[in-house]
Amino acid sequence: MSLASTGAGGASASGLAGAPAGRPAAPALPIESHALPNGLRVVLQPDRRQPLVAINLWYHVGSRNEVPGRTGLAHLFEHMLFQGSQHVGTNDHFRYLQQVGGVANGSTWFDRTNYFETLPSHHLDLGLWLESDRMGYLLPALDHDKLETQRQVVLNERRQRIDNQPYGRAFERLHELLYPPGHPYSWPVIGYEPDIAGATLDEVVEFFRTHYVPANAVLTLAGDFEPRQALGRVEHYFGEVAAGTAPQAPRQRPVWPSAERREVLPDRVELARVYLGFTVPAVGDRRCDAAELLAIVLGDGRSSPLYRDLVHDRELAQEVWAAVLPMEIQSTFLLVATARPGVEPDRLEEALRGHLATASRGELAADELERARNRMVAAHLGALQSLDRRADLLSRATTFFDDPERLNRELERYLGLGAGEPAAVATDFLRPDRGVVVHVVPAVGGGRTAG
Amino acid sequence: MKERPDAPQRPVSRRGPPPPGPQRPFRFPEFERRRLANGLAVYAAPVGHLPLVELELLLPGGAEHDPPERAGLATLTAALLNDGSREHTALELAAAAERLGGSLDSQADWDAASIGSGLLAEHLESGLGLLAEVATRPAFPARELERRRQRRLAELLRQRAQPQSLATAALTRALYAPTVYGNTLDGRAAGLRAITRDEVEVFAGRHLTPAGGALLAVGAFEPERLFGLAADHLGDWRARPASPSPDVSAPEVVRPDIVPPEHAGPRIELVNQPRAAQTELRVGLPTVSRRHPDWVALHVLNCVLGGKFTSRLNLSLRERLGVTYGAHSSLAARLGPGPLVIATAVATDAVGAAVGEAVTELGRLRSRKVGDDELEEAHSYLIGAFPYPLQRLGGVLHRLAELALYGLPDDYFRSHAERLRAVDGEALRAVAGRYLDPRRIAVVAVGPASRLAPQLEAFGEVSIRSPKEVIE
Repeated sequence: MSLASTGAGGASASGLAGAPAGRPAAPALPIESHALPNGLRVVLQPDRRQPLVAINLWYHVGSRNEVPGRTGLAHLFEHMLFQGSQHVGTNDHFRYLQQVGGVANGSTWFDRTNYFETLPSHHLDLGLWLESDRMGYLLPALDHDKLETQRQVVLNERRQRIDNQPYGRAFERLHELLYPPGHPYSWPVIGYEPDIAGATLDEVVEFFRTHYVPANAVLTLAGDFEPRQALGRVEHYFGEVAAGTAPQAPRQRPVWPSAERREVLPDRVELARVYLGFTVPAVGDRRCDAAELLAIVLGDGRSSPLYRDLVHDRELAQEVWAAVLPMEIQSTFLLVATARPGVEPDRLEEALRGHLATASRGELAADELERARNRMVAAHLGALQSLDRRADLLSRATTFFDDPERLNRELERYLGLGAGEPAAVATDFLRPDRGVVVHVVPAVGGGRTAG
Repeated sequence: MKERPDAPQRPVSRRGPPPPGPQRPFRFPEFERRRLANGLAVYAAPVGHLPLVELELLLPGGAEHDPPERAGLATLTAALLNDGSREHTALELAAAAERLGGSLDSQADWDAASIGSGLLAEHLESGLGLLAEVATRPAFPARELERRRQRRLAELLRQRAQPQSLATAALTRALYAPTVYGNTLDGRAAGLRAITRDEVEVFAGRHLTPAGGALLAVGAFEPERLFGLAADHLGDWRARPASPSPDVSAPEVVRPDIVPPEHAGPRIELVNQPRAAQTELRVGLPTVSRRHPDWVALHVLNCVLGGKFTSRLNLSLRERLGVTYGAHSSLAARLGPGPLVIATAVATDAVGAAVGEAVTELGRLRSRKVGDDELEEAHSYLIGAFPYPLQRLGGVLHRLAELALYGLPDDYFRSHAERLRAVDGEALRAVAGRYLDPRRIAVVAVGPASRLAPQLEAFGEVSIRSPKEVIE
């Protein structure tokens, strides 16, 4: 079945079995999954409407695999993967791709690192050749000069994203307070400056040997290809990469804060900002889904209670948002509000807490839940529009759950949540005695200095 | 895993990139265009693989029409459209849109005001109804104007602490003041405080009119149905009494004439943030309107200079010198002569070197023809990457808006690849000669002025401002 058949003639797509009556659903995506003898898992999602193909590789390694004192290594390593491999020159990875109209990038997060490119589909082989070369033949191409250049690039990235951004240090500080020292989520993904400055080539090489093995990776192709033929090309390029051994995941149990922790962070800002942080269960736990629904109920859109009350009616906040960062050990729940001039952070915090209290009393109105569900459906459908997002979601479902088909059940899962479940999350996890509060306030005399 | 006897057994040749397979052509999505009797153009692109629709109503009320001393009036007026209609309050409108699984946003940029809505396809009629309601029957409630005004004033305060906002504001002023392009879209505090409800109404009456506007629709619908709904909801819309009667046969709205001032040499503006951890840097020049024949050549030129990862600036500043996380350039598409802007954030002690690289590259584009290989890379990248954003409804909408705004023919994007390929090395050197005149360059550096000034004095006359002077 191809996607094109579901929308022929411009009529809306057929409903998904199991979705509540009256609510539109996503058409089921055709998905195939395979594994190569060396352990590489391969997911194929054919869609031939446009002559494009998205290639997406997840390695199950992120900043959680680092150790204190060498934070930022996973991300620095991601940069090194764009510096060429045995058969690809230093700047040639991007050059080969962009020469044929490809776009490419990579990103590092707490639990994973991903690499991706979208190409005109007749250049599929080029993408597979490049990705397999840096999976199988990276080490001969690593050297000190490349590491030094990328170290400087990353130090500048840290300054640009964090040290020179208003409020830039707040999230980092919030996670330091939310997770105990030594917990893999307690340090920032980009790492601390002295750690980045101190990373050695030997450590980079060791990091590659440990984590960048086929059995620790998922390769997804989405787009214009014939699956049997595409699998043949994947086997051709990746089949010869040595198997290696999948590394052990860090042994860390969830840690639940037992007391409130607070901090005031002076910064070069004009408007104060309040961060409330909590931890909720891991991705895959139903309560993590419920927390995501709760974040949408509370803070997504202009008719959400947080916007209505704090931004519109009482004019206490310039903006407000709620979000969940779903992660494998446990997840982070965030509430963030920027104060209007003259509004004390304490007052803003009290208003935010009022909404959490309302949520935990189970007083979310039925139409608020309905609104949130509709927004969730629209956001999910929106994400499925592009091949690169689809491929990334499939790699994610396979890396975390070994189940790419999970993407086709995503909406069912969220829509099946009962009205009481977000309230239960609020009651059990978003408690004043289990959270972190960071107030970012305008510094007297200019704020933090150059790092 | 299944046995795969047909899998190729030969070893992988890794001596060079593999050759491409047979190419399948890309086609820009089909769409239809009609015009309502009141002058409103309607573009309908049926893209039906997911049950989603995106709508946008473009109206000729961009910030280029901001009156003197009232910078920000266009964006404020546009924002107020969904803050209350004759039938519904701001929050009722938001709730109605969000119940449809969508949103309702109104805003303005330099060229146009726009009201946009993304929604589930089954709610197309309700969504279009909402859009028409806020476009044709806005109430501009006084209380909502006050809310917007206060929020906008706070936004200016926030921007004053943000290096990127400071850099943009300082650069636009350096390039374009005293024309309207020398302002920022959000305006200045003094002007915002002075705006009255009457001014908002007059602006809306004069500029937010069906003539010269366009409704764009992309998604899961039949075009005939969309045209029918557009006629039902927007066909009776007439310009408001306050405005001069539009000439429907010639819907081009007379636009302000924006001519960037001439300068004797490059100007260097420092925005002093003594404790900045690095320096936000811009180098810019005014160019031409999106409607000008030279724009496409400048678009290719920008790709060579800084439009992609492997462009000259990024390879030199990031991959060779390691002084930045990235360096890019972009060419604005505007009705008036928009800027070409090089943007980067660099280690403060490397700012002199970075400006030197940028100025050298701009000069090299004038003095030496771009080589065939480099030109081929730019062509292939622009042509090959063109379809990606069109996977999303919003990407198609964006391209339709480009057709509508700049008066481009309906088949424009069908021949886009040929148009880009036609820009050769001589054409690049010709536009570089015309527009990359070093005397027109403005440099803005947001960071510690005492460390920046000595590095930049060699490039031109240096002036220093405080953040408060840049975003007033």
